Amino acid sequence: MIIIKPKIDFEVCVEAELTPELATKSIEEVKKFKVYYGNRIVELGELFEIRKEGDDKKLVLEGDFSRVKWIGTKMVDGEIVVKGSVGANCGAFMKGGRILVEGNADDWLGIEMAGGEIIVKGNAGNLIGCAYYGDAVGMTGGRIVIEGNAGNYIGEKMNGGEIIIKGNAGDFIGTEMRAGVIEIHGSCGFVGGDMRGGEIRIKGSFELLPTFRKTEKGWVGDVNVKGEGVIKQI
Amino acid sequence: MLWIKNGIVVDPKNKINLEKMDIFVKNGKIVPESEIKKGDCRVIDASGKLVVAGGVDMHAHIAGGKINTGRTMRPEEMRVVRNIAGKFRASVGRVLLTAPAIGYEYAKMGYTTSFEAATPPVSSLHTHEELDSIPMIDKAALPVFGNWHLVFKCIEEKNIEKLKALLAWAIERSKGFGVKVVNPGGVEAWMYGGNVKNLDDQVPGFGVTPREIITWLIRANEGLGLPHSVHLHCNNLGVPGNYQTTIESIKLAKGFKNEKRQVLHVTHVQFNAYSGSSWRDFGSGAAEIAKVVNSMDNVTIDMGQPIFGHATAMTGDAPFQFTLHKLLGARWSNKDTEVETGAGIVPIGYLPNNPVHAVQWAIGLELGLLTESDKVALTTDYPNGGPFTEYPYIMAMLMSKKMREGELKKVHQYVQKATNLPSIDVEKTLYEVIHMTRSLPARILGLENKGHLGIGADADIAIYNLNPLETDFSNEFEKVYKAFKVAEFTIKGGEVIVRNGELLKEVYGRTFWVDARKKVDLEVVMQDVKNYFQYYSLQLSNYGVEERWLKKPERLEVV
Repeated sequence: MIIIKPKIDFEVCVEAELTPELATKSIEEVKKFKVYYGNRIVELGELFEIRKEGDDKKLVLEGDFSRVKWIGTKMVDGEIVVKGSVGANCGAFMKGGRILVEGNADDWLGIEMAGGEIIVKGNAGNLIGCAYYGDAVGMTGGRIVIEGNAGNYIGEKMNGGEIIIKGNAGDFIGTEMRAGVIEIHGSCGFVGGDMRGGEIRIKGSFELLPTFRKTEKGWVGDVNVKGEGVIKQI
Repeated sequence: MLWIKNGIVVDPKNKINLEKMDIFVKNGKIVPESEIKKGDCRVIDASGKLVVAGGVDMHAHIAGGKINTGRTMRPEEMRVVRNIAGKFRASVGRVLLTAPAIGYEYAKMGYTTSFEAATPPVSSLHTHEELDSIPMIDKAALPVFGNWHLVFKCIEEKNIEKLKALLAWAIERSKGFGVKVVNPGGVEAWMYGGNVKNLDDQVPGFGVTPREIITWLIRANEGLGLPHSVHLHCNNLGVPGNYQTTIESIKLAKGFKNEKRQVLHVTHVQFNAYSGSSWRDFGSGAAEIAKVVNSMDNVTIDMGQPIFGHATAMTGDAPFQFTLHKLLGARWSNKDTEVETGAGIVPIGYLPNNPVHAVQWAIGLELGLLTESDKVALTTDYPNGGPFTEYPYIMAMLMSKKMREGELKKVHQYVQKATNLPSIDVEKTLYEVIHMTRSLPARILGLENKGHLGIGADADIAIYNLNPLETDFSNEFEKVYKAFKVAEFTIKGGEVIVRNGELLKEVYGRTFWVDARKKVDLEVVMQDVKNYFQYYSLQLSNYGVEERWLKKPERLEVV
């Protein structure tokens, strides 16, 4: 297990592709891990205090990581626990393992994620489980749970996996979605534009586009794209 | 001064085939031995290496509104970093490259000239600004004429002097190089949501047909005696069964003659060589087209070869782009509808296991193999068919049946019955392939100092680490591909700019433009132009590009 703590308040964002893989390396190697601080490449040890305890594949991030981007990018196994908030692109392209965020998460959480689990105890930003700029497919597998509220564009171009939001969410939920499940326990705005497949379940109120037809399963559409997606009140 | 020693030279224009000889360079030109002092020369030892002229790409979309919109709508293309800013400019792009990347990648491959194939005259300022930011290569742009109201009006009036004056005026104003025609009449019909289906369809709102547009533009082009011929993107592009329209269009060149070059160049013919009646019974019409082209002595074509992988379809053929968007369900941008032409952009990927893409890939090669080497230039219609960086792949494929057999195994087997590629035994020689990539495109474009290594030619030279005398082109295709992919030396205007694929020096090439104003009386058309501009988006005085705004303009005057 590696415990990482910021030494300073960051003036600009840090881009650090930290994965549990680091925990298998020696502390010297971890300290030399290259990250971007603004446009400069620096060593992880310059910005963070690093401790090592035991050999399990786990990262514990203590303190405020809300300006640290790309944590858990492309991780395949192990665990990351963020004691505070986390910056953008957390868990991007993730294939497996688990990320637990005890504070809030920024935008682009779990983009194009293929497997594993992300749990956020606080709120999350926009674009959860989306496709990255220009890509055709978003999240394809795994599970994202947000205990608080979330922003706009949840599960855009999603093609598998599960997103659960226990609070409210913003607009454009499951836009161009093809498969998978989005569950919102609170209320949200517009839902399912150009949806082709998959299922969106909502407990609270939501706004429906006129391009969905009512069936026994729920609202089915988007008929604009001959979609068979389902929007359901639960 | 440079002395390239003992190279094995292939220079088809000067009928030099695999001769061991020295080449001398002074002041950016190739000169005879007597003009240089050997003691002052930088000597490049090219023993056992292939020495050829710098490559000439006669049809690529490298600058202007279309490629820029393509970049905007394809952020995913911009994630491949090719060069981090430092001595050279930052360059990025997977297939759709940024301006610096285009220059660098051409240079690394030994190419030194490239032509932007379509610019709407009204946005030529943008095109030239962008051409000016492409380093390393010489360039030019072809303005588009096939759907312009003023052109239609001249043809309707059957007034050839007026049409000639209009072309000369517009080419000068846009600092363009020649006459490009894209889906003549069809793009105008697109303004009303339509297209034209054959050469005798009436263009909506005008008493002209595509047949008349092409014929009259050839007449005017030949009357002006421009260096390049009419450069035609045929009607019905991308439609199964379109090879017949292409053949009909090619035959329109009958009756015209030019001593120096063709009178009609038909471009990216692969996209216009489909047989069948739908995508289900889609096949190749390449053999028929090749037969017609071979039987005529005044028409040339280029391949438009698709490369498997990512590409971006971008043409002035707006109705076709809409069809493609509907077919693929991919993103689409419609552009330039309110100007002299139209345009559309759609991302595309060519997949080997897709029967349609596999057939397209085979058709490109069929055209390259079945057409006489003196009539077909090598292109991918970048970025429509794929990256120009894969030209070496096409070169190697044309020279090796064994390589083609290997590649044929990897693609969808529908090609076996829909095309003739599996039964073609032709293997082009190195001499022919060098002709198709150097001297032929230069001749088609009318560039006398490009594409060859004769005395007086521009010193654009590529040296490849390949001993052609000891290479078996049929069997050692991997070696051939690798050698052409990275030039050992690229020399541009007498300066070594690339060594072993590493950039050494950034240079900026010239922009060629053609001035044919002396051949006409501009006054015959100016009243029509003024009337047209009363209702146009900008004033006549603000229309066009001044020569002094360009970085390194080179005027080619037609007298």
